[in-house]
Parts: sequence; structure tokens; C-alpha cells
Amino acid sequence: MNMADQDKELDHLFTQARATRDAFPDDLAVRIETDAEAVRLERLAMAPRRTRRQRLRVIGGWQGLGGLVAASAAGVWIGFSAPAFLPDPVEYLVSQETTYLMADLNLDNEYLEDAE
Amino acid sequence: MEDLTSQPDMAHGSVSAMPEPSDEALLGRFADGDPTAARVLTDRLGPRCYSVALRMLGNRAEAEDVTQEAMMRLWKMAPDWVSGQAQISTWLYRVTLNLCIDLRRRKQPDTLENAPEPEDGAASAIDRMQDASRRDALQDALDQLPNRQRQAIVLRHIEELSNPEIAGIMDISVEAVESLTARGKRSLTAILAGRRDELGYEHG
Repeated sequence: MNMADQDKELDHLFTQARATRDAFPDDLAVRIETDAEAVRLERLAMAPRRTRRQRLRVIGGWQGLGGLVAASAAGVWIGFSAPAFLPDPVEYLVSQETTYLMADLNLDNEYLEDAE
Repeated sequence: MEDLTSQPDMAHGSVSAMPEPSDEALLGRFADGDPTAARVLTDRLGPRCYSVALRMLGNRAEAEDVTQEAMMRLWKMAPDWVSGQAQISTWLYRVTLNLCIDLRRRKQPDTLENAPEPEDGAASAIDRMQDASRRDALQDALDQLPNRQRQAIVLRHIEELSNPEIAGIMDISVEAVESLTARGKRSLTAILAGRRDELGYEHG
């Protein structure tokens, strides 16, 4: 048998193998579906905790998460290093010198006058 | 060539004009608790797993166990599947092939071609495996190929996947797939020729 005949024989065996493929056993399908149902129920039984996939979906997937992280980082940065045209909130908090007291409102006299 | 990795199994499909959901969409539905998605995925992916496992192992019971385990891994990883990272069928083929190799290693620490011949009359697992596949000359020959060649041959010539798909499954280059399938075919031809001579001697 020459090389071409041998190749032809091999191709014939491949064709035959594809044509006589074993049917997928019904009981195997049942076993696989039973496994799937067990996994599904177990997952549902686990706390109302969302899966990672579900949590991601709530905020718009990976793109949403990326946007959220970028926005948060920008917020923090602006908070500590505000652009010139914005008041500096850190300075406002740290160096606030004016103290307002209730007495400064000077309401008591007016109140007494009204009462009289 | 028909793309078998992402299309639904039309042999089991309906005549509905609605497009079938992708494997990934179905897995997402399963992860979200849809009780019907698993059946469709099983019908679609199970037979492919089983076909590959059967040709890799040459034993129906083992192929069934490997298929069940591979599908179990699919169910478990469903919530963590990252959309677009790969084809689900590619992932599943890879898991199936790895399980087949693990099983063969557990059964036979040495490779099949180096294993000693079982003694006459011994009803060993190898005997039973060989009995089951004796009717199939191709299976006998496949059993004698090194793992990587057998994987490439089964995926290319039994499953009829494209070389790029096989490269993705085996995590090698397309050139390496071509080389493996070429060497595998040469080895099969030599094995079959030897077997023919042997049968001729036995029956001559």
C-alpha cells in the first residue's frame, strides 16, 4: 500500500469515526442536569449575598466599576489639592478662626422687650 | 469549515426563527438562577465533551465520568465567568482534555506505549478497554499516540475544529497544532500498517 492509499485509508477511518459517533447517553444528561440543579440551589441558598457577577452588573459591569473608581479617586484628589478657582476645603477646615456664639446673636434683649 | 464552538447544536434545535442565545448568555442566565439554562447548555456542550473524552480514553464509563466532572466545573465557575475572555466551549474542551490526561496518569503512571502487555487471561482494566475498542482500529491506534498528538488529532479530525481553535484549546501556536497533527497522522499510519501486517500474519 503506497503513501497515498494509506492517507486515504486514514481519512476513511476519520470519516467513519465521525459518522458512527456514540450517541450522548440519556442517563449522563440526567446526571449532569442534576448536578447543575444542585449547584444552582446551593447558590440560591447561600445568603442573599450577590455573586460577583451580579454585583458588577448593578454598577454597570467592569466599565461601570472603572468609572466609579476613577470618579472616587478624582474626588479625593480634588478634596486635598483643589484647583485654584475652587476654595480649598482643607484650609477652610483647619484654619477657621471665627467662632460664633449664641450670645453674638444678641437676641435676648429683643425677646425681653417683646415680653414686656 | 463549520464553526462548532459557538453555534447551537442544530440537530436538537427547533425551527424557531428566534436566534439561539449564545453559550455565554446561557451561562450568565444559569449563574443568575435560571433553572432552564442548564438543560440547553447540557444538550449543546455535553455531547462535545463526551465525544472528545471517549476518543481520548477509549472507554465509555470513564468518558461519562470525565464529561460529568467537566460540566460540574462549568456550573461551579459560572458566576465568575468574565464576559469575552474566551469561548466557553474552548474552556470546556481544555478542562475535558486535562481531566482525561489526569485520569490516564492515575491509571498508568507510565505511558501506554511503554506499558507492559497485560498477561493473557487477566481481566485487567486495560483488557476491558481494549475489548471495548477492538472493533475500532482507529481507537486502537489513537490509544498508542502520545497525549499531545492524540489531542490534536481528535480535535482536528474527529471534532473537526479549526487549527486556531485547537491552538486556543491546547494553548499552543497554530504552527505547533499543524506539526502535532502531521506527526500524529504519520504515527497513526505507521501503527495501522503494523496492525494490518499483524492481522495478516494472524489470519494468513
